Amino acid sequence: MKISSLIPGVITAGCAISLALPPRAAAQVSTNDFNALKQMVEHLNEKVDKLEQTHEQDQKTHEQDQQKIQQLQQQLGETQIAVTNAVQKAEAATQVQPVHPVPPSAGPSAQQNFMVVGDAEVHFGKVDGSHGAFALADFAPIFLFRARDNVLFEAGFDVTLQNNADQNGNRTAGHSTSVDLSFGQLDYLWNDYVTVVGGYMLLPLGTYTERSAGWLNKIPDDPLPRGVLPSNGAGLQLRGAVPVGQAGQSITYSVFGVNGPSSADGTGNADQLDLDSNVGFKNDGTFGNLHGSPSGGGRIGWFYPWQAHYDVELGVSGQTGTWDDADKRRWSAAVLDAAVHLSPNVELKGEYINTWAETDNMGTIHPRGWWVQLAYKLAGLNLELPVINNVELVGRYDTVKDGLGTNTDRYTAGYVYYFSNTLLFEGDYEFLSSNDPTQNHNDFVFQLSYGF
Amino acid sequence: MNRLNSLKWRWRAGAGLAVMAALIYAASLALVAATDTKPTDSKAADTKAAGAKPGDTKPASPPKPAKKKAKKLTGAELYAIHCNRCHPERYATERTAAQWQTLMLHMRVRANLPAAQAKEILRYLQEDSGS
Repeated sequence: MKISSLIPGVITAGCAISLALPPRAAAQVSTNDFNALKQMVEHLNEKVDKLEQTHEQDQKTHEQDQQKIQQLQQQLGETQIAVTNAVQKAEAATQVQPVHPVPPSAGPSAQQNFMVVGDAEVHFGKVDGSHGAFALADFAPIFLFRARDNVLFEAGFDVTLQNNADQNGNRTAGHSTSVDLSFGQLDYLWNDYVTVVGGYMLLPLGTYTERSAGWLNKIPDDPLPRGVLPSNGAGLQLRGAVPVGQAGQSITYSVFGVNGPSSADGTGNADQLDLDSNVGFKNDGTFGNLHGSPSGGGRIGWFYPWQAHYDVELGVSGQTGTWDDADKRRWSAAVLDAAVHLSPNVELKGEYINTWAETDNMGTIHPRGWWVQLAYKLAGLNLELPVINNVELVGRYDTVKDGLGTNTDRYTAGYVYYFSNTLLFEGDYEFLSSNDPTQNHNDFVFQLSYGF
Repeated sequence: MNRLNSLKWRWRAGAGLAVMAALIYAASLALVAATDTKPTDSKAADTKAAGAKPGDTKPASPPKPAKKKAKKLTGAELYAIHCNRCHPERYATERTAAQWQTLMLHMRVRANLPAAQAKEILRYLQEDSGS
């Protein structure tokens, strides 16, 4: 009876114990094993992370490589196109190869340009004892042809009209047009300091002929003593300028050799001196100097500006050579020139000219003279009046002794009215006195000038 | 005898002109050479003043203060200095760039302008030239 009563108790106790125990207890793992397994799993995780990073870097590198490959492929394509075009152009060029190819030493291709500049003047003059008259004083075109950057051909003409006259100077019907070549020269700019000029050129005796003729001067007619100098000469010239410092100063020079003055009838008589006409071709069509020797000369000048519109220029020039056909009589000239600007409104300039001519009949004669000219722009008064501001007052004194006994003095007072920078109106009154009574006269001269 | 003297004078005149031309050309060559070497000299001076070589142990001496250089004139300033001396100034727009180039050749020869100054004036005129 006791055993059968213990059986349910044992069963109940067994069930209670089985319920109280945790399930893991059923699969028993040690702590050490668990920790080892945990470390292993963590290592594996780290390795996976590293592999993923490496993979991402590889992917980026791959993408960059692909981009580079694409760029190279594009460049290759462009190069192929360029090569194809070059081949086509080369084939075309060989078909139009010039008969006379330009040598490589000839430099860049020519940049030619042709243009016309110059001036024109219309006069109205009134001389004491005669009627006033209009005249086309001068039409003076200058043709400029630039063949290369350092080669220029220039030619200046003077076209004038005059009434016809017979050999005795008596008026006849009609009028004639004269066309004079005032210069025709080739300029070769050898380097920065030397320019070679060849042809029929204006002579650098003083500065008036080169810089003040025509509409450039403020008085219509030339200073009297310029008549004792040649204006032009056929020959060669070297000229240039050397800058001094950075302030605009310069030393300028000109050296020339020309045929030189000649004799009208071949003799060395004083009244036969012909300053401008020995141009290289004789009346019989042959070529040669009318006398045996060339005439040489030159000018050296110093230009000193201390600011814009304030400057001084001084120069000394001369020329010497024989002039008669026998090559025995010498003609020489010396010129001092000076110009001063003391503002945009004040200009003072002048020249002293002396010449010596050995003659057969009068020994050595000394044609000489000097002139000085002062100009003042009324804009300097700051009156702010439009008409006054465009006026420039001018005065000049010039005198000449011709070496043959005639002495002449002249006083000129006048003005310039500037319609624009290229259109000018000049008006002057001249008082002329001479020891030759036939030359004494006073003049009104008006001139409309246009520079183009 | 006169003929002999005449020949002597001709020979002297011709030889004198030839010698003068040769001297001018030689002087111009010297000037051109001097102009060409100037930038090289200044470059050398700059290199010298820049400091010591990498191997040097001494500290580089401080560069000496350069002399005050004169201000170089601009094309506009040179235009105002030169052109108005002889004629009223012309406007840059009156001519094309090619025409100004031709005119400046003409004026460089006629007025004996220094080459560098003529080029500056040309650059100034071409900047605002007409079309």
